[in-house]
This record gives sequence, C-alpha cells and structure tokens, in this order.
Amino acid sequence: MGLRDVLFGRKKLSEPHDDRLFALTTAAVTLQVELGLKTAGIGAISLKPQSSGEFRSAFDDIDKLVDAVAQSSGSTIERKTDDYGYDWVIVHDPDLEDIVSSVHGISAGLTEQGFGAQLLAAAFKFDGGDHPVYWIYGFKRGVFWPFVPCGEQKRDNATELELKAKLEEELPIEQDLTRWLALFDAPV
Amino acid sequence: MKRRSYGRDAGLTLRMILTSGLLGLLYVLFAAVLIVYLKVGFAPMLVIVLGMAFFQYFTSDKLALAAAGAKVVSREEQPALHDMVERLCAMADLPKPKVAMMSTPVPNAFATGRSPKHAAVCVTTGLWERLEPKEVEGVLAHELSHIANRDVLIMTLASFFAMLAALLTRFGLYFGMWGGGNNRDNNSGPPIWLIIFVVSIVVYAISFILIRTISRYREYAADRGSALITGSPEYLMSALQKISSQMTLIPNRDLRQVEGMSAFFIMPAKVKSAASELFMDHPPLEKRIAALAEIAREMGRPVA
Repeated sequence: MGLRDVLFGRKKLSEPHDDRLFALTTAAVTLQVELGLKTAGIGAISLKPQSSGEFRSAFDDIDKLVDAVAQSSGSTIERKTDDYGYDWVIVHDPDLEDIVSSVHGISAGLTEQGFGAQLLAAAFKFDGGDHPVYWIYGFKRGVFWPFVPCGEQKRDNATELELKAKLEEELPIEQDLTRWLALFDAPV
Repeated sequence: MKRRSYGRDAGLTLRMILTSGLLGLLYVLFAAVLIVYLKVGFAPMLVIVLGMAFFQYFTSDKLALAAAGAKVVSREEQPALHDMVERLCAMADLPKPKVAMMSTPVPNAFATGRSPKHAAVCVTTGLWERLEPKEVEGVLAHELSHIANRDVLIMTLASFFAMLAALLTRFGLYFGMWGGGNNRDNNSGPPIWLIIFVVSIVVYAISFILIRTISRYREYAADRGSALITGSPEYLMSALQKISSQMTLIPNRDLRQVEGMSAFFIMPAKVKSAASELFMDHPPLEKRIAALAEIAREMGRPVA
C-alpha cells in the first residue's frame, strides 16, 4: 500500500497471484505420507461478482472454457452462489492435479479478462483426519492457510497450527494468523 | 486485458491536494506567527497538544468504541457478521479488524483505529437488522475502506494544529484577563496576547472549514473503496438512502390504493445553501449517490 493510496484513497483492488497455486500438488505427497490426508476429490474457487454487464459476459466466456477443459480431464463442474453473494465454481475430480489446474484455469481466465481482482479464494478439501481439512488459497497474497472446521462455527486451531508447522517448507503459508479467513458455509 | 480503475476522479484528487495544501499553508503561517510573537510557553504547549494527539491516535480504537458504548462481539455471537467482515477483508487485502456492535435501532456504522492492524469496525443493531445483507456489506466495505485509507491518521494529522489553535485561544483569553497589560514592552503595538488570540481564532475557524472539507473528500474516497470491494455500488446507494431514512418516503404500495395518503409522500424541497455544506463533515446524500452512480457506469469498462 503506497503513500498515494493513503493520501487519495485506494482506486484499485490488488491483482491476484495465482502462480503459487500449484505448490499444493507437490505438498500433496507430504500430506498423504506424514498426515494421512488425501484429496476428497473436490475443490472450488470463489469470487465476488461485479454487477456490471462486462463482468457477466466475461464470466460466461470463462465458464464455457472451463467446461471444455473439464470435459477433457473428466472432471465435473458445478456452480453455486452462497448466502453472501459470492459465486463458487466447484470442481469434482479424483485427481488433485486436475482440480488445481481447473481452478487455475478459471483464475487465469478472469485475470486475462481484467477481472482478476474479483477473486476471493480457492478451497481444496482433504479427508483422512478427524475432521475434514481444507487448504484455502488467498489470491490477493498468493498464500495458503489451513481451515479445519469442527462443528458449528468452531475451528480446530490445534490441528491448523500443526498443519502449518508441517507444511511450511513446501507451501507458501500465510504468516499473519488474523488473515486465516474461515469459510464455514463453503459449498465444498 | 486491462480494465480501468474506476472511480478515477481527477477532480476529487485535485480538490484533495488543494485543500490539504491550503491547510498546510495555514499551519505554516500559524507556526510562523507563534515563533515571532510568542517566545515563551510554546514548548510546554506543544508537548500538551502532541501528548493529546498521540493519546487520541494510539487509543482511537478503544476510545471510540467505549465512547459509543459499543461491544466487541465474538464469532460465536455473530457468525454471519464475522463471515461478512472476513470475506470483505480478504477482498480488500486487509487484516481482520475487531468487530463490534452497538445496541440502537438507528442504522449506522463506523470504523476506527490508527492502522489496519489496530482497527475496529462497528455496526448498530439497527443497521444489521433493518438493511439487506448486501446493503450491510456495502456499508461494511465503506468502513473497511476508511481503515485501508488510514483516515484516523489523516484526520489526526489534519486536526493537530487546529487543536493547538483552540488551546491557544483559551490560553490567550486567560493570559489576557490575568496577566495582560502588565508587561507591555513595546508601547506602540497591540498587546502580544491579543495578536495570538486573534490569530488563533482565525486559524481555528479556517482550519475547521478545511478539515471538514478533507473529511468530506475522505467520505467520497471510502464510497469509491466500497464500490471497489463489493463490485456493486448500487447496494451502498440504497443503504445510504435507507440510513438517511428517506427510503420510508418511497411508496411501496400501489398509488391507487393509497391515493388519499399520497399528499404525505411529497417531500418538502430542501433548500441547501453552499454555506451549510461547508460545515458538514459528510457530503450531502445526493452528491454521494451521484458519485456512486458515476462509478457504477464506469465499472468494468475496458481502458478506452
């Protein structure tokens, strides 16, 4: 955040960093070997839709592209809007690598069209622990953080911190814990 | 493809520069007068004002919340509000501020805190219950933009010398009443305390207007920030309408049904003089709505 932003107010949201998304596919080995976690076959990307017509038509174009990509890799795509008005594109695929590339395809497509700033986060679900484990990727800062919900509005902070400690070497992890956004009602 | 960064209001930026420049000039002149005429007592006064400013600056988040009687709410108490704030923070790339609620039916909200890391955002129960979720989101995004734009810092800086001038005015008054006239070393001119007194009053009056002007510009900037974060300025527009409680005047029943009542729906035309706007710290609603409408038109358009 520069001095200009402070003096005159922000005029732009920060652009997304989707380049570190693929780090998750390499970390998957550690997740499986050391923690017994493997992909639940589902991942999703969420974005804040703009109300402008330009955004709608750009998003429709990307949708078609994703459908084509998904068909070739055999994954199924689903779309949802959550209670807070964020759009979700959900990818079902047994292979984590395919999920990550579909998510990356959407983020790259939106960025290409000039709407990358509308991306909120991507969530990847893993099974094998006491509770489902989500790795959430924040596009604004290009970092991952763990999210382990256990019951109504509760998250298992101990497991989350353990995940952070074990994966720190392989994943770019958000160091500021106040930014570990929770996604309790994520449709994944 | 590059999209234009909407809300690129060159006029607003220019007016901000101009007002800040005027305020800076005023403060430099004021400091010059102080140095020339007031040789003693300046240092302790400066310490007092600096101390006050620092105290205000560093305690702003707790102070404002306590003053408003707002209560910090946990995630368990208000999960939906926390979810909303967290997501908007992620969109705006801000750390999550403290979330507080104030128990009053009047819909309103405010943000405070010296930096994004020491910030709090507060909504009233009226806002939370009476507005649509998307409208609440627009209002929250407006408050988060205040945090992102560091408005507490800006306003503390802007009002620092105004505080000093206000203090001097009082100081000069006491000095004149008790000690004035005793030590008049130059017989020709007016007493020093009178000069300081008059200059302080003038500085205070002018800086008051300039500070209000800067404050109004910051509101426009925060409105723009809200449109940026939520991507849909129309919800902030309707939220602003509702908050200023003019929405209740828009009839939502068929005109024929309420024909007998329609006389009550005509709003009395408000005459707003340019002078009254000078003293307000928020811009008039119509102007904010107009600025947001302009952003809505620009939004998503490719760079021409």
